[in-house]
Amino acid sequence: MNLSPALAPSETLAGFAALLRDHGLSVGVAEQRAMLQAALIVGGLNGSRLNAAWRAIACHSAREWRLWPDLFDRYWHPERLRGTVRVSGQTRPQRDLRQAVQQLHEQMDAAQQLPTAAKSAPQTAAADAPHAGAGNSDAGTPRGMSGASRSEPQLEALHRRDGQMWLPQELGALQRLARQITAQLRPLPTRRWCHAPPGHRLDLRQTLRRSVALGGEPLAPAWQVRRLDPPRLFILADVSRSMESHAALFLRIARVFALEAQARVFVFHTRLAEVTPLMQRDSATVQEKINAVSASFGAGTRIASSLQDFARVHARTQLRRGARVWVMSDGFDTDAPEQLADALRMLRGRGARITWFHPTRRVPAAVAMQNAREHIHRFVPLACLADLAAARPFLH
Amino acid sequence: MSPTVSPANRLLRESLQRAGYLADADLATTVWLAGELQRPLLLEGDAGVGKTALATALAQAQGAVLVRLQCFEGLDLAQAAYEWNYGRQLMAIRLHDGQLGTVKESDLFSREFLLDRPLLKAISQDGPCVLLIDEIDRADEAFEAFLLEVLADYQITVPEIGTLRARHIPRVVLTSNATRELSDALRRRCLYHHLDYPTLAREIAIVKTALPDADTRLVEEAVQFVQRLRSEDLTKIPGIAETLDWVNALHRMSHHTLPDDMAVLLTTLGCLLKTREDRFGLGADRARQLIEGRRKVGVAEKAQANAATS
Repeated sequence: MNLSPALAPSETLAGFAALLRDHGLSVGVAEQRAMLQAALIVGGLNGSRLNAAWRAIACHSAREWRLWPDLFDRYWHPERLRGTVRVSGQTRPQRDLRQAVQQLHEQMDAAQQLPTAAKSAPQTAAADAPHAGAGNSDAGTPRGMSGASRSEPQLEALHRRDGQMWLPQELGALQRLARQITAQLRPLPTRRWCHAPPGHRLDLRQTLRRSVALGGEPLAPAWQVRRLDPPRLFILADVSRSMESHAALFLRIARVFALEAQARVFVFHTRLAEVTPLMQRDSATVQEKINAVSASFGAGTRIASSLQDFARVHARTQLRRGARVWVMSDGFDTDAPEQLADALRMLRGRGARITWFHPTRRVPAAVAMQNAREHIHRFVPLACLADLAAARPFLH
Repeated sequence: MSPTVSPANRLLRESLQRAGYLADADLATTVWLAGELQRPLLLEGDAGVGKTALATALAQAQGAVLVRLQCFEGLDLAQAAYEWNYGRQLMAIRLHDGQLGTVKESDLFSREFLLDRPLLKAISQDGPCVLLIDEIDRADEAFEAFLLEVLADYQITVPEIGTLRARHIPRVVLTSNATRELSDALRRRCLYHHLDYPTLAREIAIVKTALPDADTRLVEEAVQFVQRLRSEDLTKIPGIAETLDWVNALHRMSHHTLPDDMAVLLTTLGCLLKTREDRFGLGADRARQLIEGRRKVGVAEKAQANAATS
């Protein structure tokens, strides 16, 4: 292994643990201690066995299990990664909050001085579209698509900005909104019964068992109610190049639902990767970490392949009747057009209800989307927080 | 780095093989390490990849008692850990009814009136023991929380008696089909191994070990077919157990290779395909393509099919 002589093994291991934590693995002090112990038992020279031993200690889920070989090589054998593309993880110049607020104030002042000329905040979905809100003539092309709510003047700039920079009150509003939407996701009645003090049905078995302790007198009846299972929510966010300006908003929304509704969150462009553990942590650099996860992705968007991978591998055991699948994408797919319909049919076949969130005002008009439209339960425009608030009654 | 294998690890792998379980090097290392560190082992993977079989083989290989707790919805403490033997307690009260020294409460709530359920049975063993907690994802989250004490400290606290500690630390194997997310607390107490479907060579070796009388050519062809079948869009992907069933069925039907007659082959596919959709989705043509190794419908065939339909 590539141990630097300047560093003690425990320090080198701590660096490795930090890399693992950065990628969403739960590696705390206990795990590090166990890894050191394993290294002592197995022997540091036996690389393949140590790899297997550390993998068993540090990984706690199938996602982490699949991620491991890459992370292990990246840290201990960087020479094997020679020639691969390194991405910084930063898609936009970093700004601090004060600068952002200052800029917003300037924009608001400008909007008040020139209300007719004010178009949009720079971060919104169609900020770079020259004909934003000017009509539908440009619909159908990725760059020409106008934002979902671009027709009204941008007086409420704070409320309408997308997810690059958020103020605490906006985050609070998003959280409240997510909580409301989660509460209205209809739970599914199951055939199972569970214990509940004021129940509808007498649990005869439990009552009889309790009565044994009381000499056979059923003085403490046990009751049951029909169990309601909350629907499983899966969010698949497109983070391809064409979605670069919207991905931050989508990931911000996905993160809130990961916390409020225990949603599983995936990102995709040419491949699919689960980012749920990254979403569940309170970190200011979520975007950077997600970029790091998807760093080896290529160009283009393979929506159909990603959805198939999602259904066959990642969520195969959890996709059941009543599962909600939210796809956040502009619908531009480099796979064969008929493949998307097949992939969505497969998801529908498992009982999932598919909602497609698109950053454009109009429903995506790509050929693949036109073929697949019958399998999608609802299309929802989503370019800012207001759009999500407007869609709240339909998300149930 | 030299791939040296420690004697203990090699011995474990060999003893598992003698018990009929072919573990790869990584799995053998993990099982061995779980024993060394006295940590539970969480095995995750699709149904039929050999999770439960590992626990039974481990018990057999180590000459240990296998205690199995099959999890299900609504599993509670009384079914998993212990229960008071109320009937016996009442009988003891009746027996002491007319005697001078009346029975005291501490007499009734003692170890002898406790009924051992799998968890208590496992930690009460004097000799080596393998505790298999099967399909933990089917149990409720509340039960997972209870398990934490058992898995971390190998002890069970009975309020009326106190804490019962394990006399001999059992080897604990938990299995999960990942139908629901397990809690982080449970995962972090365990070593983790994800069992995937075996490679072609390994599956052939497994089938040959389990069915030594079956013809080698039959085994190879059948396993190759199953491997290709797994890449199809199936609701329930056949596991190793299904492969063994199928090869066994063909062997008992005195086949030395895969039958040429598709009708015969299709009648035996019930061993592999366990849902109606999968069974009807695989017709004779597709089965023939899988046997011949054609994974997709060729361009020429597709064009012919399109021409025929138009």
